[in-house]
Amino acid sequence: MNLLLRIATILSFLGHYPSYILGYLIETIIVIIFATVVIAGMVYIFRKYMARVQMRIGPNRVGKFGIMQVMADGLKLIQKESIMPKGRDDLAYKLAPILIFFGLIMGFIFIPYGPLAWFGDLTVSHSDVSLIIIFALIAIMPIGEILSGISSNNKYAVIGTLRGIAKDISFEVPMMLSILAIVMAASAKVSNPLDINGVVVAQSIPFAILEPLGFFVFIISMAARASYSPFDMGESDSELVTGNTTEYSGLRFGFFYLGLFGTIFLGSMMISTIYLGGYLGPFTNYMGFIWLLIKTLILVIISLTIWLSMPRVRIDKFINFGWKYLLPIAFVNLVIVGFLVLGGIA
Amino acid sequence: MVEQGNLKNRLIELNMGPQHPSTHGVLRLKLTLDGETVKKVEPIIGYLHRNAEKICELDFYCDALIYFDRMDYVAAMNMEAGYLEAAEKLLGIEPPERVVWIRTIMAELSRIASHLVWAGAYGLDLGMLTPFFYVFEQREKILDLFTEISGSRQETNYMSIGGVYQDFNDKIVYLIREFLDQFPKKLEEVFNLFVKNDIFISRTKGIGILEPDVALQYGVTGPMLRASGVPYDVRKAQPYLAYDRVNFEVPISKRKDNYARVLVRFEEMRQSAKIIKQALDKLPDGPYFNPKAKKSLMVRLRGEGDFYARTESPKGEFGVYLVGDGTVKPYRVHVRSPAFKNLSVLPALAKDVLIADLVAISGTLDLVFGEVDR
Repeated sequence: MNLLLRIATILSFLGHYPSYILGYLIETIIVIIFATVVIAGMVYIFRKYMARVQMRIGPNRVGKFGIMQVMADGLKLIQKESIMPKGRDDLAYKLAPILIFFGLIMGFIFIPYGPLAWFGDLTVSHSDVSLIIIFALIAIMPIGEILSGISSNNKYAVIGTLRGIAKDISFEVPMMLSILAIVMAASAKVSNPLDINGVVVAQSIPFAILEPLGFFVFIISMAARASYSPFDMGESDSELVTGNTTEYSGLRFGFFYLGLFGTIFLGSMMISTIYLGGYLGPFTNYMGFIWLLIKTLILVIISLTIWLSMPRVRIDKFINFGWKYLLPIAFVNLVIVGFLVLGGIA
Repeated sequence: MVEQGNLKNRLIELNMGPQHPSTHGVLRLKLTLDGETVKKVEPIIGYLHRNAEKICELDFYCDALIYFDRMDYVAAMNMEAGYLEAAEKLLGIEPPERVVWIRTIMAELSRIASHLVWAGAYGLDLGMLTPFFYVFEQREKILDLFTEISGSRQETNYMSIGGVYQDFNDKIVYLIREFLDQFPKKLEEVFNLFVKNDIFISRTKGIGILEPDVALQYGVTGPMLRASGVPYDVRKAQPYLAYDRVNFEVPISKRKDNYARVLVRFEEMRQSAKIIKQALDKLPDGPYFNPKAKKSLMVRLRGEGDFYARTESPKGEFGVYLVGDGTVKPYRVHVRSPAFKNLSVLPALAKDVLIADLVAISGTLDLVFGEVDR
């Protein structure tokens, strides 16, 4: 029994197909709302945590303990005038934030959330190739970044975009190689290794223990994808103002901001799904979703700590690191996993 | 076939500042870029020019202090001490012994406060958010001490010709000691945040190498010069205030790069704390004002001749040149501002470096624009 079936049963008076289509739509909307609320909550947690690390109090004026501060900031961004630069490429300029938001939200739809008590399995979309689909959807976000950089007619934005492209290329190849190792290891256990749900089911031993090298590569890649410090050379605020988002303001800037925090959350969710056993844990059938959230939150807090304590890596050193260390490590990991699968250990 | 002749190397011209998060204050850098590489840097200054020297010439000798406060506004006490060094010699008013020691203490506290700001801002330049708040906690404590003794935080206007505004009492001595007790531990905490981080080291070591002869040609002084291996410190070379009666070391480094400047500035803070401790122990009793320069008499002070005084401000050698023509107002006031000279070496330092390194280098110059533009 999963959530889709529950909703469809409630709507069954509409007939078979309409009830399923409507149920699917409702569940998608629930997930989008869930993602937005979670990201807003994360911004709040981040600001409170950041304040504690930096010996400050953090937001505490709007609502109890400043909980409504994020809401107030969001409202402020919405009602602000969106200042647009002269000489921009209008379509690309307006499309970029939408692409970022789209890639981010669609990524959430394919995550296997696992079962939760009465609701059953919360996963919205099942597919035999959902692992590939997720990475394809996340790969839309860099396109948004590139569009925003080259369309806004600003030198800082162009330099930031060039840095961003160089960075993306140098970590995405090792990242996909580490995912390849995951698929190999999963194929030994389940019949659908390209389904991200299959990857979770295959983890009677979490892949983080089985493939520590791949785990390392993937964590670094996800940090670079979210581009927080030390990997924020694309938007390095002390060098390039804010890189590709320099010319954005108002709600459009809000989308980029949402994209940053959303990617941290989505990345942490994917790390915990692919490497830490996702919703697996004691009493999986009742509280699988809770396990996923706990694992994700721990990873988010680790990411924030790294963000707050590290200076920025120089772009050429990161490219060096990507090609000279991450890529060979990913290959070595692939070979090791190959032998593990052959030896029947994985 | 690809025609390679069409692919020309185009240089980009980029204006960094005057409103830019990494250029401290209102520095404007005109960069010529080849991709990410900086081919040429041209610092453009003058956005904070307030004519301070000329205004000083229109006022009485005692009134110039507030303009000096606003030159290096993060180390106001050092500016006051520098001006008084010249003005008191010109006017022939000797400060009492106790005042000399009080000024030494205040100048060193101010030096710590200034270096702390630099440390925090340098962390921000390299993308570290957290150390900024750690150092500002300590700086706020120093500013609280200033408020206690002078009534204001930054532009203190504490010293005056022939004395200080208010005597040290037991409370302030206790507060300074209390500050010094906890300061070294907190400083090491921040220091470790910097030097125990591999990324920080990779951003600073071997970058922005300033050869000693180049530094001397450009008139670079202060921690910048000492990080290049030249042991020149006015406090030792030509002691003023009570610096010849306290025991301290002038830190130098032979590394010559950004990392050396970080190390030197942190070591200077430790030495300053040492100096304050000694000065508090040796603080003599006595008057805190020379009776010749009472408030009612102050506007009648007349000076004749010219005098140049050099002091060691946190940024380097701070020189004040005063000419008096026998009236109640100075005929000419000129300031040798160390940050201005240190800035002038930037084009030589940041040649053929990456943009990221340019920011890392200009962060170590420790620029305060109140002083560069005056």
